[in-house]
Amino acid sequence: MIPSIPATPHPDERRDVILRTSGLTKYFGTLKAVDNLNLEIRRGEVFGFLGPNGAGKSTTVGMILNLVEPTSGTIEIFGRNLKDDPWAALRRIGAVIESPAFYPYLSGWDNLEALAISIGNVTRAKITDVLERVNLLDRAKDKYGNYSLGMKQRLGIASTLLRDPELIILDEPTNGLDPAGVKEIRDLIPQLAHESRAVVLCSHLLHEVELVCSNVTIIKQGVTLVTDAVQQLVTRGQTLEIKVNDLAGAANLLSSLPWIKSVKIAGERLMVEMPPERAADVNQALAEHGLYASELVNRNTGLEDIFLQLTGGTSVD
Amino acid sequence: MINLIRSEFFKLRKRGMTWTLLYIMLGIMVLINIILYAVSKISLPNGEPGHLANLSSILSLQSSIPFTFSILSSFGAVMAVILMASSVGNEYNWRTIRIALISGKGRLQLLGAKLITVIVLVIIGMLASLVVGFIMSMVTNTIGGHALDFGFFTGSYLWHQFLQFWRTLFVILPFTFMGFLFAVIGRSAMPGIAIGVGILFLEPIITGLMGLASGWVSRIPDYLFAANVDAINALNGLPAGPGPFGGGTATQTASTAFTVLGAYIVVFLVVAFYLFRKRDVTG
Repeated sequence: MIPSIPATPHPDERRDVILRTSGLTKYFGTLKAVDNLNLEIRRGEVFGFLGPNGAGKSTTVGMILNLVEPTSGTIEIFGRNLKDDPWAALRRIGAVIESPAFYPYLSGWDNLEALAISIGNVTRAKITDVLERVNLLDRAKDKYGNYSLGMKQRLGIASTLLRDPELIILDEPTNGLDPAGVKEIRDLIPQLAHESRAVVLCSHLLHEVELVCSNVTIIKQGVTLVTDAVQQLVTRGQTLEIKVNDLAGAANLLSSLPWIKSVKIAGERLMVEMPPERAADVNQALAEHGLYASELVNRNTGLEDIFLQLTGGTSVD
Repeated sequence: MINLIRSEFFKLRKRGMTWTLLYIMLGIMVLINIILYAVSKISLPNGEPGHLANLSSILSLQSSIPFTFSILSSFGAVMAVILMASSVGNEYNWRTIRIALISGKGRLQLLGAKLITVIVLVIIGMLASLVVGFIMSMVTNTIGGHALDFGFFTGSYLWHQFLQFWRTLFVILPFTFMGFLFAVIGRSAMPGIAIGVGILFLEPIITGLMGLASGWVSRIPDYLFAANVDAINALNGLPAGPGPFGGGTATQTASTAFTVLGAYIVVFLVVAFYLFRKRDVTG
């Protein structure tokens, strides 16, 4: 199927915004599942979408994929309101939602062939190509019902690639994969984004998200807690751990420095929240006042710590 | 739409259950012919054969096609309900509905493709049953020592059977679409199968009891399925036989029967399509 491409590109298409939600809200009865969500995802970007169980991630993905009707707000995909022509937009999206689901009585190959027939204009060579890409070609003729969870995940990713989508949504793509499989998928995701696509990644493996995502939104109970570049978030939480003989004196001294955000005594060490590039300045300041540090360690606060801080320590979906 | 229909055919062709239902239907055709042939050979002690006398005529080569239609309108409907409800309902059971819905085709197109595919498969099943029923009739007639006379194959006979083919399909459709509707409502194959097949078998019993009453209660069955199915089946001119095997007597006019069943077909389809188009797909 050839995607319908307008003669004059919409301004958003020129600016490479692939997906934009504005004030997206969904109620199920009286329960507010998603509250005023604003997202913006650009071509070439791997976007992390995180939240604890029941945060509203799947509902949001469902609304983007026209499976769930928003109560209010708009979704623009490729610069066009999703409501205007959802089918044209969906033809440019590939998605694995929650866990991959295929016909258990069909082989992996047949499942992709059934999908390829319904899409139209997908060659058998393309099916071979996508199966090869997710390392599943040698098991393609096995029944899907006999696949391991990891194989199912890989088939799910293969199915999204059948039509060369411009936006790929992957919900927990590394579920059930062994460490080698996780690495394969982790390596594959940035590749996908570099092929002029955008990838939305919902994952509970925050370390993976940190490694592959450029931007991230964290939501809880349908409300956006933070949207920022991953690097920015991680840097924001960086601390310097200092072992020094006079903890109280060092704490007083460092607290007086204007570029230090906070100083805490944790056991026999000081935890100093500050820009990481100024560690040498700290050392110099201490030495000038006769305080000698025996250890100076830069501690990066991982995305997981940020996530737990923001969500109040709830488990990740 | 064509691609979706091709995809549905691909999936149903590869599915063991589709072939199992066909083999069961053909097996039923073989079994019923054998049983009726065996029963037709029974000599009753009082010399009064009653309905049994008509069995020979039901088993005659000329009656084999109308007889097959009669069987198809009951057992065939069961197979059609199972096929239809599982085609829609299993998409929910296996959670493949989401893949189908995000493939970039309209929801109504998807449901329409399923509907068309199942109807075509039902037609193929009916044709296969006719072939098997006719072959079985040839076998029983040969065993019974009757000469195989194909002289009844006139233009008028074939035209009548052609019409009856579509009438039989028409009486199967309300049950099939009921299965379709309840599979959509229940988001599973089971409600569709249970309600479609349940109504098919329980309704004649319930309406039989209603018929014993007087006043408006006794007229309710005229607006349900069985009486109207019987009225259309009666058009096939099959001689009366024991139980369900043979032509019955109609209490409804054919035109009323077509109107009532047609109304059911429309209502089931409209509600199913409306719900499918509007509802959120979650979980």
